[in-house]
Amino acid sequence: MKKKMLAILMVAVLAAVACVPALAAENLSDTTEGVAQFEGITANEAYDFQIVVKSFQSTYWQAALKGMDQAAEELGVTYSAQGPASESDIADQVNMLNSAINGAPAGVGLAACDTSSVLESLQAAVDAGVPIVAFDTGIADAPEGSVVCTVVTDNTAAGEVAAVNLYEAVKDQIGDAPVRIGEINQDNYALNIQQRGLGFINKLIELAAADGYTVAMEGNEFYVNAAEGAVEGDADIILEVRVPAQTTVDLCSTEAGTILDKEDTIAVFGSNQTAAEGLLVANDNREVLGDTVVGVGFDAGTSIKAAVEDGTFLGAVTQSPLMMGYYCIYALTAAANGQELIDVPTDGYWYNAENMTDESIAPNLYD
Amino acid sequence: MGEVILTMDSIDKTFPGVHALDHVNFELRRGEVHALMGENGAGKSTLMKVLTGIYTKDSGTITFEGKEVEYHNTREAQDAGIVIVHQELNMVGDLTVAQNIFIGREFRKGIMIDDRKMIRESKKLFDELHIDIDPRARMSDLTVGKQQMCEIAKAISHKAKIIIFDEPSAALTEKEIEDLFTIIRGLRAQNLGIIYISHRMDEIKVITDRVTVMRDGTYVGTLITNDCTKEDIINMMVGRVIYEEPKTHSMVPDDAPVVLKVEHLNAGKMVQDVSFELRKGEILGFSGLMGAGRTETARALFGADPRQSGDIYINGRKVTINSPEDAVKNGIGYLSEDRKRFGIVVQKTITENSTLSTLKEYMAGLFINKKAEKTVTEQYIRELDTKTPGADQLVVNLSGGNQQKVVIAKWLVRNCDILIFDEPTRGIDVGAKNEIYKLMNRLAAEGKSIIMISSEMTEILRMSDRIIVMCEGKKTGEIPIEQATQEAIMDKATRDIG
Amino acid sequence: MAKKKTIFSQEVIVAFVLIALYLIFRTISSDFGKYTTFLSMMDISYYYVLMAIGVAFPLITGGVDLSIGTGMICYALAGGFLIRNYNCPTGLAILVSIMFGVVIGLFNGVLISVLGLPPFLATLCNCMITRGLGSVVTGSFAVPWPTAKQANGWFHAIFKITTADKTKIPLGLVWIFLLMLLMQFILAHTRFGRYTIAIGSNKEAAVLSGINVKFYHVMVYMVSGLFAGLASIAYAAVIKTVQPGTGAGMELDAIGGAIVGGVSASGGYGTIYGTVIGAYVIIFLKQGLPYIGFNANMQQIITGLVLIGAVCIDIIKRKVIV
Repeated sequence: MKKKMLAILMVAVLAAVACVPALAAENLSDTTEGVAQFEGITANEAYDFQIVVKSFQSTYWQAALKGMDQAAEELGVTYSAQGPASESDIADQVNMLNSAINGAPAGVGLAACDTSSVLESLQAAVDAGVPIVAFDTGIADAPEGSVVCTVVTDNTAAGEVAAVNLYEAVKDQIGDAPVRIGEINQDNYALNIQQRGLGFINKLIELAAADGYTVAMEGNEFYVNAAEGAVEGDADIILEVRVPAQTTVDLCSTEAGTILDKEDTIAVFGSNQTAAEGLLVANDNREVLGDTVVGVGFDAGTSIKAAVEDGTFLGAVTQSPLMMGYYCIYALTAAANGQELIDVPTDGYWYNAENMTDESIAPNLYD
Repeated sequence: MGEVILTMDSIDKTFPGVHALDHVNFELRRGEVHALMGENGAGKSTLMKVLTGIYTKDSGTITFEGKEVEYHNTREAQDAGIVIVHQELNMVGDLTVAQNIFIGREFRKGIMIDDRKMIRESKKLFDELHIDIDPRARMSDLTVGKQQMCEIAKAISHKAKIIIFDEPSAALTEKEIEDLFTIIRGLRAQNLGIIYISHRMDEIKVITDRVTVMRDGTYVGTLITNDCTKEDIINMMVGRVIYEEPKTHSMVPDDAPVVLKVEHLNAGKMVQDVSFELRKGEILGFSGLMGAGRTETARALFGADPRQSGDIYINGRKVTINSPEDAVKNGIGYLSEDRKRFGIVVQKTITENSTLSTLKEYMAGLFINKKAEKTVTEQYIRELDTKTPGADQLVVNLSGGNQQKVVIAKWLVRNCDILIFDEPTRGIDVGAKNEIYKLMNRLAAEGKSIIMISSEMTEILRMSDRIIVMCEGKKTGEIPIEQATQEAIMDKATRDIG
Repeated sequence: MAKKKTIFSQEVIVAFVLIALYLIFRTISSDFGKYTTFLSMMDISYYYVLMAIGVAFPLITGGVDLSIGTGMICYALAGGFLIRNYNCPTGLAILVSIMFGVVIGLFNGVLISVLGLPPFLATLCNCMITRGLGSVVTGSFAVPWPTAKQANGWFHAIFKITTADKTKIPLGLVWIFLLMLLMQFILAHTRFGRYTIAIGSNKEAAVLSGINVKFYHVMVYMVSGLFAGLASIAYAAVIKTVQPGTGAGMELDAIGGAIVGGVSASGGYGTIYGTVIGAYVIIFLKQGLPYIGFNANMQQIITGLVLIGAVCIDIIKRKVIV
């Protein structure tokens, strides 16, 4: 219950932030600014860092580590990475984080499974003088002085990108009868997933309202309650959000299947690699994506890339795990040097069959 | 009776601490049913285990069909044709009768088991033995009696030449026993040699040709069944010299009140309509063979097992005892026969064990008053003369006799006035035994009342003021110590000859 | 109650339950009745049912195999790894996955039968070992198996074929059916099956009857491992990307399915028919409950309750006999 309240609070804050563009600009610095702070940086010593990732479940993390390798080579520092077996093994990750901090490394890079569970460990890091750089997912309410830099995709913005593209493709189908749009989120406790999921939801509601359409929410309580601007009862669009009990592909596919089976479904969004892959597995037998139902994915990986290429997916939003890993190491080095840091938001890129081979997009599309 | 098929000559076997078989002889002829009798611990089972390869003899020879043999496991004995039908049946409950009979040597058609053939062969076997059992029935659906028939059929299907029956009739009904005898007669007619171990005099008279009696690991003698009486057999079973003097007269004053009265106690087959009285300061011995129902009676009285009916009066007042807790509240303590399992917490100290059942009285608020615990423990260590370096010694490190004293202390601490001792000196050396006896006499003199269950004749005769004998769940005799003899007790402990 | 095939035998009851569940779900949610839903359910069912068939054997001996869930993932990771990183031909990789399962099964069997470890403990340890082993083999990353469209993705067709007019047919059901018949035959009519039951019913008696109990006991766990290996192929064919760290918990659905289907939790009795039907009951619950609006957590609660019900029935039956 406490987690829920915290989450709702965080989201309320975020929503407030999103509604005030000026404020948003102040909180999250421009990408180029964030990058600029690393100009000409060298490591004062051959630092050794500890990295704790969410898990090694998807190839996403492979790409992040590649970025880290590159940065580490450039700077002449070293790191060792560990992560729990799956992204729902929250307790395991907290243990790993604590061991990492206790080893008194030059710094710790963290991609937290559940942002509220790590707060105590972060306080311990502050007390021990170990700087933390959060990457992939931010940590709201982090203790003062613990997280010196956050290198994340602006997840809310990324979710919005998906919403914009998806809405554009289906808006003509709305109006006559109620239609259903689905969202599959692998969980409801990791900040990045929450931001993404809500980014999509709130943007969709906004776009629909601009055209005079109403949206009603169904499904997972967290997202339903956190949505902004939804109506009760009948609406033009039913936005159904489903979350499985564990963050695995087969469970996501079951949830996706229930949405795909509904007659009024016109589009479904899978908000990360696991969810999107689950959506594809569910589609195996139904074969409606790219046909009667618009599918939008997130991240990359072999199956998703193939789906985007052959049109099963309208497109997908990719993050830049490569760059996140890269800048994470840079941020850690800078912090170890004693530099004051600002956050480094990275971009989420929309890609589809046409632009996925472009120079600017392709490097981010890991296997 | 035909020629001799088996001779066991001067068989000797010693286990650590006990000379189980002392130059025992045994002879079996073809076409004979030969009974093997003796008290508990006489060595009957041990002798058979040596024969069938479960134990290895230390010395002596076994001659089977004219050749000297020695078997190292049951399989070897089985293959040679010597089969034993155990008291605890070795059947696989979830398989059918036919599957059980041929288990391990199934008929096969290629890779597939030929169940049909097994059923046919089983049917043939049953027909020969005149047994009416459906080979397709599931084993655990059958009565114990029928299961035993199957075990017998299985034994015979091994082309047995000698079959040993170990207490076969214990779990059978009258009718089933008759069927069993019919089968045995049939086997005898086929010239098999049959060894029949049993306590039941009446059965021995009916079915056997000869009787061999063992006592305390030695061979006493062999009689021809038709020519001997029950007294003859009993004399051989118990005719030992007792070195210690039995109690000559009761120590209980004539006017001692009745502290415990049990009327019509019923608890299943093992306790059938048992009634008795216990007087203050008395040591009441409960004698009988194993399985007579003495422990079961004590447990029913103590509330450890449920009972169907029975009234219990303590000091003239009727009491309700439905659990050990009730019994203890009423001042009854029970020292079970299996010390380690039921009496003590082996890995704990003497202090912890002594105050185990009365911990409430040593509580100061939420905590245990260790000092008070220790004081009372040391008091009893002194009183009982328990040999130990201190009250904190782990019980597991004490000798058997001293462990027993710890258990006694536990109940004394509880101020129990009625104590039930179940096999109090089992597994305890002679020296310690005497100490326990002294202790019991002292407790009795102090006014405690004791029920002593024992399978040792000498002990019963030495300690009891009065003796109650049980046989197969019923109280068969009540003998004042002045009239008690081994023979008299054994007579009541075994069934009459029909 | 004798284990005759009366109207009240557990296998028959479970079959009825299965049909009833289907009808209930179908009535409440018309989407559940769609062919595509059926196809999806069948897809997910193969690896569970295979695990259930395999684990029935240890269960009948009164033991258990907790290593099949994480084991399945480990074997699938190994095979996929060989294909992706070493261009191993799919057929060979499949063989490796299956043999890997048999080897772990052998390990389990030796620990339990020869060294005398309690089955719960031994297989739990192997559950943890295979969980880590999978990650070690693949360097901790997820491993994708070839998709159906690729040339070396021919193994997908074992489980599902697409006809000329685009209809999909769950071919896997045929194999499940055949395997069910085969394993039931082995259980009821070969010495291996007979002694499996004997070990579960009265191991002492089996030993005294001269049966080489140690040998057969080891074989039982190898069978379980073999089926976990087969399940790994079914898993790869459906889920395609195998993630290390998953699999824990799947064995409970398989074991639950076997018990619901009449395999006695204390050993000595079981049929493969019941096991398969029981596994499908669990799968129907898993797949159907989301359709009628229950979220994933409710589904786990309900499945747990169904399992308790099944075990209670087993205990009551045993008490009645004794």
